[in-house]
Amino acid sequence: MNSCEKIRTQLSMLLYGELSFDEEEAVDAHLESCAECRTALERERELHAALDQAQAEPPASVLWESRQNLKERIAAEHGPSSSRRVSWWDRFLDTAWLKPVGGLALVTVGFLGARLTPDLGLGITGMSLADPGAQRVRSVEPSPDGGIQIVLDETRQRVVSGGLDDQKIRVLLLSAAKDPSDPGLRYETVGILNDRAQAAEVRDTLIYALEHDENAGVRLKAMDGLRPFVKQPEVRKALAGVLLSDGNPGMRTQAIDLLTQGVGESTGPALGRDIIGTLQELMNRENNAYVRQRGQRVLQLVNASQETY
Amino acid sequence: MAQKTGFQTDEKALIRAAQEGDQDAFGQLVRAYDQSVLRLAMNLLRSPEDAQDVYQEAFLRVYRNLNSFRFDCSFHTWLYRIVTNLCLDQMRKRKVRKEESSQFEGTDGPVDRMDTLQESRVDGNPQRRLFSGELRQRIQKALGELSARERMVFELRHYQGLKLRNIGEILGTSEEAAKNCLFRATQKMRVALGDFV
Repeated sequence: MNSCEKIRTQLSMLLYGELSFDEEEAVDAHLESCAECRTALERERELHAALDQAQAEPPASVLWESRQNLKERIAAEHGPSSSRRVSWWDRFLDTAWLKPVGGLALVTVGFLGARLTPDLGLGITGMSLADPGAQRVRSVEPSPDGGIQIVLDETRQRVVSGGLDDQKIRVLLLSAAKDPSDPGLRYETVGILNDRAQAAEVRDTLIYALEHDENAGVRLKAMDGLRPFVKQPEVRKALAGVLLSDGNPGMRTQAIDLLTQGVGESTGPALGRDIIGTLQELMNRENNAYVRQRGQRVLQLVNASQETY
Repeated sequence: MAQKTGFQTDEKALIRAAQEGDQDAFGQLVRAYDQSVLRLAMNLLRSPEDAQDVYQEAFLRVYRNLNSFRFDCSFHTWLYRIVTNLCLDQMRKRKVRKEESSQFEGTDGPVDRMDTLQESRVDGNPQRRLFSGELRQRIQKALGELSARERMVFELRHYQGLKLRNIGEILGTSEEAAKNCLFRATQKMRVALGDFV
């Protein structure tokens, strides 16, 4: 096995961070002097990014059902005579009585002790969901009547109601959309926020998710919500950023489609110089054949050169 | 996954409380780990129903045997030993029965349950759906051709983000053996997907 062949067998382990110090040193030294192996490393990165797409995030409903079933089976182990006190665990799971009224969203909110915040009267304004001492949104899911159900982790719980346009609900949703610990929660929250993307603060949150969320599913969902606002400069800028820096080829393809929708049709819009420049820059660096093909097609339609020099 | 130092201190207290019969403490332990357990089982078994069965059985075993937990390893490792054994049993049973339980007959032929699950999460853009759908099918097919152990190591490293040392501890093998297993799995995936990415 020559040195290139040996190095290429180690590229995946390099990306996983599973090489020993000496092995990593040897691979790094080789990569500095070998363009072909650097290309191979980029392809390995593409492979890893593609594999990320195959991960399934359990829907909140499946998790909810699993918890409910576990609670019942554990209760059954205790037998019917069990006189356990009603616990936090029970209260969290016992949602049968949580029936939304009219068109209102139903929100299950936990309290930390008696901390009440005057602004909302709920103790939730301005809280940091990443703060381990504060409430944390555990799950968000649509309820059958079109409302939303939000569950926060806390020592005690209480129920409040509000519509999607309710400021207190929005505060919770905007915070949950950035919760670093739970991609499933962020996905559900961004999906709900997409319906209110006409509000600037919601749009800012979607752009933040599009640019920063580590989970491709959440980023895709945020891009969906921004679709009607693609003419706005801040949205175009964010999409151009996706095109040039998002590691997921599906995201880059979708960004091309959004930024160039209608281009080439007889009544379609002319493509701005900024977008043409971004696409040309993309051609300089894109390794994925499908994304390149998409970009090339658009540039051909507007008679622009394929690359910048 | 709750692996921060602060949580570990709290976790020890939670385990001791749960061992003494505190239901709230047990509930908090479950909730610290149950999402990642469900995700692991769902990815490996590609069936929400089977994943829920593993979830139930795993946490019931934890509940019944918590008193025998002596802190010889982390709670996470102990729990994952139970979960991975249950998943491996299920995967091997499927191989023996040659059962394709992740598929059912749709109007246009066999449909993967995971595809229907994920399909509900994407929008109606047909081009993107085609691209990501085709890629996902290729990945699922390639994952399905790995051995049960290769599939498990790959899942724990790539999707769960565990280090090989920890994976070896969970699966009762050495770090080196886990590394060899991951190496074989990634090679097979590269061969299966090389022309697609």
